[in-house]
Amino acid sequence: MTAIATSPSVAPLPRRIANVVRLHVANPIPTLVMPWGITAVIFAINLAIWLMVANAAGGVQNLEEGAFQYNGGISWIVVFMMIVAIQCMSLTFSFAMGFSVTRRDYYLGTSAYFLSLSVLYATGLTALAAIEQATGGWGLDAAFFSPWGLSEQSYLTLWFVYFATMLMFFFIGASVATVWVRWKAYGLYAFFVGLALLLVGAGWLITATDSWGDVGQFFAGSTWASLAAWTLPVTVVCAVVGFLFLRKATPRG
Amino acid sequence: MSAIVEVEGLTKRYGRVTAVDDATFSLEEGGIHGLLGRNGAGKTTLMGLLTGQEFATAGRARIFGQSPVENAPALRRVCFIKESQVYPDDFKAKHVLKAAPLFFDRWDQSLADRLVDVFSVPLDRRMKKMSRGQRSAVGVIVGLASRAELTFLDEPYAGLDAVARQRFYDMLLEDYATHPRTIVLSTHLIDEAAGLLQRIVVVDEGRVVIDADADELRSSATTLVGKASDVDRFAVGREVLDRTTMGGIAALTVAGLSPEDRRAAASAGLEATAVSLQELIVSRTGGRASQKESA
Repeated sequence: MTAIATSPSVAPLPRRIANVVRLHVANPIPTLVMPWGITAVIFAINLAIWLMVANAAGGVQNLEEGAFQYNGGISWIVVFMMIVAIQCMSLTFSFAMGFSVTRRDYYLGTSAYFLSLSVLYATGLTALAAIEQATGGWGLDAAFFSPWGLSEQSYLTLWFVYFATMLMFFFIGASVATVWVRWKAYGLYAFFVGLALLLVGAGWLITATDSWGDVGQFFAGSTWASLAAWTLPVTVVCAVVGFLFLRKATPRG
Repeated sequence: MSAIVEVEGLTKRYGRVTAVDDATFSLEEGGIHGLLGRNGAGKTTLMGLLTGQEFATAGRARIFGQSPVENAPALRRVCFIKESQVYPDDFKAKHVLKAAPLFFDRWDQSLADRLVDVFSVPLDRRMKKMSRGQRSAVGVIVGLASRAELTFLDEPYAGLDAVARQRFYDMLLEDYATHPRTIVLSTHLIDEAAGLLQRIVVVDEGRVVIDADADELRSSATTLVGKASDVDRFAVGREVLDRTTMGGIAALTVAGLSPEDRRAAASAGLEATAVSLQELIVSRTGGRASQKESA
């Protein structure tokens, strides 16, 4: 038997991480096409409703000032990133394991991908907000990409709000996905029961200590930037929890 | 030569099911080895443990002298193709073949392209929509073109027809000849693959029941055919693995015949034939179960 030459070099960590990112991009539909598609659909529906209302009122000038400034449409796409993360991980984890990727490399690569997606979407949505403001709210004084007074914030703040909230939802999704990958359906039941208990418990605590006023004060008194910054600890906790869950997960068919 | 695969007292339990039960064996670097056994014997779990996909309950699994668990440098030298490989929902065969070079340092694209032709794989079809045989063919392509130093092929040709299987054996041998490496093949089509195999490890109900060189194993048992009375006389005091009688003729499979034994058998008018690996393994694994049933 001939001696077998051993592999001269092994890909360093950055390249292995980049390869996991490329694995996610191999099929761009769920992460790069769907979210924009859904944003476009929600925006189109809102635009149609604004036009309908404006028409019925006989012109935007007949409407209350700022009537189209409070719109929650864009928050759907931010929350949707959670679904994107869940889909993305539940589909690729077992595949990557089957292709000799370690859990650590997979998680680091996937996290890097989520970070890149947050940058991409935050930048894209901020650019759309700039167009929105430049066109006088699509000619209707409407706000879809910078609603709720966000149009008064700097573009940097707006970008940061998108970036931070999306990143949080990506990693909430990542922790949910790792629960699924590791414990399947029963894990998710336990997870959501636990989450419900936590939320009810928190509500109970706030009510018992008569602190709802303070909670309201916190949200009303904080700037957009500081509220967005408050998502970062949540993001970090979710990211760490996700990794701890995934560390002992095994691929299953 | 050193051991590329070492398994020591390895046990894997899922709840009350023991999938791998105190297994110990090792495989030398270089060669095509067989990991054989019935369905559910624990072959896939063993390979999963050796590639860090499963976590051992007890004991040690080592590849290249190291634990495979979360060991990126070791795992990059390994390719494990299993029938139950999961593919992302929308993945087509071309996506799989585009992703594979990212993870296998020795990937050979021209070999992959050639194999796509040999097995007529529909590149634009979704993995989910493929037949079992087509999905197996994609696995075989990845398994061979990755040229990993240590390749595990778990039932690589499930669903492939005889022609495609023959092509697989041909391609495997051809590529192995030019790029020697260590290949561990699990299959239940034992006789088909028998000619390729050097070392044979047979697992049954999670336990290693045979761990031997293929040649050694083949010579470990002999079937003697002759008149029932002659056969019975010869059988006295020997380890009989199997005995069948038809009319006045009996076939007796006995363990370990020495040259003198063979001469004695010949002079007793018995005809000696080699036992196929398949028969041998069936008698050692299936046979035990049937004894239990009859007990």
